[in-house]
Amino acid sequence: MSREVECTDTSHSITRRESIKKLFRLSGSFALTGAITGFARMPLPAWADSQKKAFMVEGIGQKEGYSVKELTRKVFESAGGMKRFVSKGDVVVIKPNISWARPVQLAATTNPEVLEGVVELCQEAGAKKVRIADNTINDARRCFSLSGARMVAENTGADLIFPRSSLMREMKIHGHRLDVWPVFVPLVEADKLINLPVAKHHALSALTLGMKNWIGGVGGRRSALHQDIHPSIVDLAQFFKPTVTLIDAIRIMTRNGPSGGSLSDVAEKNTLILSDDPVAADARASQLFGKNPENLGFIRLGKKWGLGTDDFLSLDRNQVSV
Amino acid sequence: MKAKHLVWTRRISQAFFLLLFLFLLIESRLPQDIFVDYSRVLSAEQDLALHQPVKFFFELSPLIGLSSLVSGHRIINGFLWGAGVLVLTVLLGRVFCGFVCPFGTIHHLVSWVKPSLKGERMLKANQKTRSQRIKYFVLIALFVGAVMGLNMVGLLDPISFLFRSLALSVLPGAGVGLRVLFDAMASSDIKIFNYLSYGAEVMASPVFGYSDQAYQGAWFIGVLFLIILFLNRIRPRFWCRTLCPLGALLGLCSRVSILRLEKDHEKCTNCQLCVKSCQGAASPMPGEKWENAECLACFNCFHACPEKALSFRFSWPPGLNPRPDMGRRAVLGGLVAGVSFPFLGRLDGQLSKVSDPRLIRPPGSLPEYDFLTLCQRCGLCMKACPTNVINPALTEAGMAGFWTPRLIMTMGYCEYTCTLCGGVCPTGAIENISVKEKIGRPIKIGSAYVDRGSCLPWSGNAPCIVCEEHCPTSPKAIYLKEERVIAPDGKAMTVQLPFVDLRKCTGCGICENKCPVRGLAAIRIIAAGESRSLRNQILL
Repeated sequence: MSREVECTDTSHSITRRESIKKLFRLSGSFALTGAITGFARMPLPAWADSQKKAFMVEGIGQKEGYSVKELTRKVFESAGGMKRFVSKGDVVVIKPNISWARPVQLAATTNPEVLEGVVELCQEAGAKKVRIADNTINDARRCFSLSGARMVAENTGADLIFPRSSLMREMKIHGHRLDVWPVFVPLVEADKLINLPVAKHHALSALTLGMKNWIGGVGGRRSALHQDIHPSIVDLAQFFKPTVTLIDAIRIMTRNGPSGGSLSDVAEKNTLILSDDPVAADARASQLFGKNPENLGFIRLGKKWGLGTDDFLSLDRNQVSV
Repeated sequence: MKAKHLVWTRRISQAFFLLLFLFLLIESRLPQDIFVDYSRVLSAEQDLALHQPVKFFFELSPLIGLSSLVSGHRIINGFLWGAGVLVLTVLLGRVFCGFVCPFGTIHHLVSWVKPSLKGERMLKANQKTRSQRIKYFVLIALFVGAVMGLNMVGLLDPISFLFRSLALSVLPGAGVGLRVLFDAMASSDIKIFNYLSYGAEVMASPVFGYSDQAYQGAWFIGVLFLIILFLNRIRPRFWCRTLCPLGALLGLCSRVSILRLEKDHEKCTNCQLCVKSCQGAASPMPGEKWENAECLACFNCFHACPEKALSFRFSWPPGLNPRPDMGRRAVLGGLVAGVSFPFLGRLDGQLSKVSDPRLIRPPGSLPEYDFLTLCQRCGLCMKACPTNVINPALTEAGMAGFWTPRLIMTMGYCEYTCTLCGGVCPTGAIENISVKEKIGRPIKIGSAYVDRGSCLPWSGNAPCIVCEEHCPTSPKAIYLKEERVIAPDGKAMTVQLPFVDLRKCTGCGICENKCPVRGLAAIRIIAAGESRSLRNQILL
C-alpha cells in the first residue's frame, strides 16, 4: 500500500484537532519556505518488492581513530550509493533516536557523525530537503543540543523538527494491535524515510533497535504501548515502512537501557548495519549483544507478520571497513 | 534642558526599559537553537545556560538586593546595580520610577491612553491623599518581616510582581489564545489561512514554546494583575502612589535629593495644568508644599506649565527635603505587621513540625528556613524550567511560602542534567549548582515510592516497565524483579515488578510524569529524602 493511500485513509478517523492539518496532506512541509512541495509520495519500499532480494551491508571501523563519517559513506557506497534510495528533489526525513539529553559517549542517542554523514549523502543525492525529526522523551531542545543533532543541523543546513503538539495527528495504523494512534506527521509526509536508530539495551523488549525506534515516531499515551510491547513495535514498524534502516552500533548500550547514563554501560562495537529489511537489520544487531534473534519477541513477530526475515545470512550481504 | 526634551527623554527611556524587560522576559527560557559542540562534550556534565542576562531587572531593584541582605545575609550577584539605583535616587529623587521601572511604565501607559478621568475629576484624582501612606506601611511590614526571617518582599516588589504576572499568566494565556486562533485558521476552508496559520505558529513558537505552558493557580495571578492595572483608571499610577514598596523605599531615599522642583508664585495663574498631568500626586502647584517623596520625576508639570512657573533645579549645597508623609499609624502598623508575619507564617508547623510531602523544591534549593529568607517568588525559575515542572506553590509551603517554587511531577519532571533554575535564580535561594554537583553528590529533591494498588504489574493488570525505563540514574534507582502474579482473570502471568532503591533515587519525578496511570500516577514523589533538609529524611 502506498503512503498516499495511508494518508487519505485517515479521513475516517479525523478528530477535532486534526483538521489542521489538512495542510500537511497538501504540503508535506514544515516551514513556509518549503510550503509548496506537493503531495507526499512514497514509493514501494524495496523489501515489499518480492522480485528484489533484500540486502545488508555491515561497516566496521577497524583502524584506531577511524572516521565514523567515512565509514557511513562507505557503507552506503557498498549498497549502491545513496542514489539508490534517494531521488532528486525528494524530501528526506531521517528518524534518529534522540530520546535522551545525553552526550554521544553514553550511547543513548544516535551518533551525530553517522547522522551528519547520512544527511550529507542525502543532500549529495539531490534531496530537496533533509529533515531530522524525533519525538524525544526529554526536553527536545536539550536532547537536540546535547546529542549533537543541533550541531549536525547547523553544519549541514538540515531542518530539525521539534515535536510540537500540532504536528501530532491521529492516523489509522492498521495494525494487529494498534488501530488509531497520534503520529508525528513529518515522518509520514516524507518522500523518503531513513531509520537511524542506535542499538541499546531495554528492560522490557530486551533491546531497542530499528523497529522499536518507531515508538519515537508517535505521540499520545505512548508509555501505554509497553503493556503489549512486541506487537506495538511491529505494528509501528509496519506502519512507517522506512526506505532503509541504518543501525548505529558504533557504541552500544549493554545495560541500564534505554537511558543509560554511565560510560560503564557502553561497549564499543564500531559497527554500522545497513539494510532494507528491518527485521534482518535488528536480527543482525541483536547478535552484537550476544542474543539469539529467535528469542526476541519483536523479531519473531516481525517475521511472522511478513515484515522481513530474521535469517539475515540469506540476504545479499557485503562488508566494508575503514 | 528644555522641559519638552526632558519629557521626551523620559518617554524614550521608559520605552527602552520596558522593551528590554519584555525581551529578557521572553529570553528567560531555553532557546530552541541552543547549540553545543558535541565533540567537546566529554561527559554528561554539560551545563546549558541562557544567553541573555535575564536577571538584570531583579538586580536593578534595590528592594530585592536589600531584603536579601538583611534577611538572607547575602550580597546577591549584581547587588551593585541596585546600590547604583539607590545612589541615583539620593541624588535625583525617584527617577527610577519615572524613567526605568517597567511596571511604572505600564501603569503610566494604562493611565495615559484615553484617560477615563478628565477635567475636574482628573484634578481630584491627582490630589495627594492619605492612602498614599499605605506604601510605607507595606514597605516597613515587608522589610521588618525580612529582617525577622521571612522575606515576602517579592510578593509586591514591582519587578517580581510584573515578571510573575507576565511569565506565569499573561504569556501562557496569550499562547493558549494563539493556539486556538491558529487551529481555527488551519481548519478554515480558505487555503491562504491554512498556510498563514502554519507560518504564524512557526514564528510564535520561539516565544511561546513548542508546547503549551501551564501553571497552578495562574488565573489568580492574572486576575490580580488585571485588577492592579484597572486601578489606574480610578487614580493614575495607583500602584506607584499607593502600594509600591520600592516606590516607598526610593521616596525615603529622595529626602536628600538635590534635584528639586522650584515654584514661582508670582508667575502662577492657578490653571492647575501641572496638577492634571502629575503622575505621583505630589502637589506640584505653587502654593502647596511639593511632596518630594511622592514625585515620580516624570517632569510632566514642568512641561505642562504655560507660564514657566515651575522648573527643576539642582540645588547646592544639599539640604534635607521635606519629610516624607508616612503617618505614624503606617509606621507603627508596619512594624507590628512586620514582626508578626514571620511568626504567623510559622504557625502551620511547616518549618518546625511536619513538612508537606508535596513541597518538592527545585534542585539546589537552600534549606527551607534560608530559602524563605531569599526567595522572591518572582517566577523566573518557573519560566525558565524546560519541562514546566516548577509551579507557584499555593498551600503546599504554608502561607509563608505562597507562590514559592514547587515541583508538580504531573506537569513536568526535573531533567537529570538540567540546572537552569539555579542558574537564573536572582537571589540564590536556588543555588547555582553545576550538573556535576547535581548528579555527583547527588542532589536529591525527594523520593519515589510505588503505589502497588494502582501499579499495572503489581496489580496484575498488565506488564509495564515505564518507570524503570525512564529512570535516569546509572545504575537505575528503579529496579525490576521478575515475578508471577495473578491477573484479574485468575490466570498467572510473569511480569517485572518495579522497586525503588531509595539510596539511588534523586526524586527527579520522570517516573511519576511518564507513568501510564494518568492523573494520580502509580509511582509518586514525596519530598522526604531531599538533600537540603536534615530532618526530612527516610533512611538512617
